[in-house]
Amino acid sequence: MHGNDTQVKSHEPWYKYGVAFMFFEMFIAIAVSAYSLYMAFHGLGGFPGKH
Amino acid sequence: MKTHKVEQLVIATVGFFWCFLMWFSTAAFSPSIANHYNLSLAALGLLASSAIWMAPIGRIVAGWAADRFGAPRTFATILAVCGLVSIASAYTTDYDILFIERVIVAIAGVSFVVGIQHVAQWFEPDEIGTAEGLYAGTGNVGAGVGALLLPRIFGLDYQAAFLWLGVIALGIAAWYLLRGEAAKHEKVRATARQSADFRGTVFVWTRYIAIALMLAYAMSFGLEIAMNAWLPGYFTRGFHEAILALGFTSIAGVQIAAGTFAAVQSFTASLFRPFSGFMSDLFQRRGWTPLPMIARTLPYAPRLHWLAISLLLITLSMVAFTVAGLMNSLPLSVMVLVAFGIFVSFGTGGTFALVPLLFPDRPGVAAGFIGGVSTAGGIVYPLVFAHVGNIHMGYLYIALFMFIPFTLFYFWAARYEHHPEDHGIGENWLKPRGETVVEKA
Repeated sequence: MHGNDTQVKSHEPWYKYGVAFMFFEMFIAIAVSAYSLYMAFHGLGGFPGKH
Repeated sequence: MKTHKVEQLVIATVGFFWCFLMWFSTAAFSPSIANHYNLSLAALGLLASSAIWMAPIGRIVAGWAADRFGAPRTFATILAVCGLVSIASAYTTDYDILFIERVIVAIAGVSFVVGIQHVAQWFEPDEIGTAEGLYAGTGNVGAGVGALLLPRIFGLDYQAAFLWLGVIALGIAAWYLLRGEAAKHEKVRATARQSADFRGTVFVWTRYIAIALMLAYAMSFGLEIAMNAWLPGYFTRGFHEAILALGFTSIAGVQIAAGTFAAVQSFTASLFRPFSGFMSDLFQRRGWTPLPMIARTLPYAPRLHWLAISLLLITLSMVAFTVAGLMNSLPLSVMVLVAFGIFVSFGTGGTFALVPLLFPDRPGVAAGFIGGVSTAGGIVYPLVFAHVGNIHMGYLYIALFMFIPFTLFYFWAARYEHHPEDHGIGENWLKPRGETVVEKA
């Protein structure tokens, strides 16, 4: 590859916290979607329940 | 003022989150408003569509204003105007005036491009994907949070919700003005300010790669907002028997089930967006360029390849969605929808990991064009879905007759190995004087 942007260099400290927050958001997305779909497919409504 | 780029990212993200909350707060309370004013179904549809009206033109203007006046002033103005009108709408008793006020509050949706410009002015090319992804993905969740929480907090009292949303928007506007800084360096700020002229704007709009990115965003975010509006009705009609079989027999129950399936797309498309920015950064760091035709030697070439992969996945998932529908399989449709939402997020995150790198001198103008015109997809796709005889076939038609040509155009525009941002209509006489190019990366 060419260009400076592709040179591997260490990230600044904030980056690991940003990535950790990103994975936290993904976990929430998966958890809420799974729970919501479980509720719906069992006739119990969507998140957070009731129908 | 001493500040850090993470503080600027947090300010922009909170401001955007709140703007999205206000943008979709009308939709969250549309049943209450319809009940209060005895609205017809047609009037309710008009109210629901009002959120998108201002986006295409408004985002173009907001992007230009962010380059010209700086993101803090532009963002604070949007927050303050929308906040004040939101407060006024809490005290309105005439429906016509309320409707106009809510259309004005919907201007909050244009704030997206202002924050994109703000973040681009602070973060380095090797981390821009993750930074923009965190900003846009977290902010986008405001729409889902609004739909989920506002009716539960305020019940039927939409006036109280509009009042509090407006008051807090004014507080965030003050915070943005006090702590927001337009750019990391004055030189970067000055370049953006000077480049926000008419000639520079037309230059961006006529670049093939800018048009390709606009179409890519229409394939991702345009499709996301179209599906937000379309999917509840699709599941209600397309899988009515299957939903009844699950035990949802009342009208309200069917609506909840259909809304739950539809929400999966919105949720995953928003919350996976930072992951797409992260993947764009990762492609960049590892130098992955697996696809044919697309440029391989540009400083940001791997990001072009990541977005191309996203566009192919979106197209394939649209075809799969039609197949699942024709098989009349509700579980398979929902599984495809989960993947579909993730692929849409790949497209949205991948697009705005590229925009600031392609147009570093005028990120606001570029973000306004790409993030603005593309929202018209939110209007076009549902019209196509609604006019196809079989309710399941619309996705296939969009994939074949729109997305495949869009993707081919992207491949064509991204093939230049030397400054693709210079290639476009009238490239000899439109190129702004003193143009700097991407070597900044």
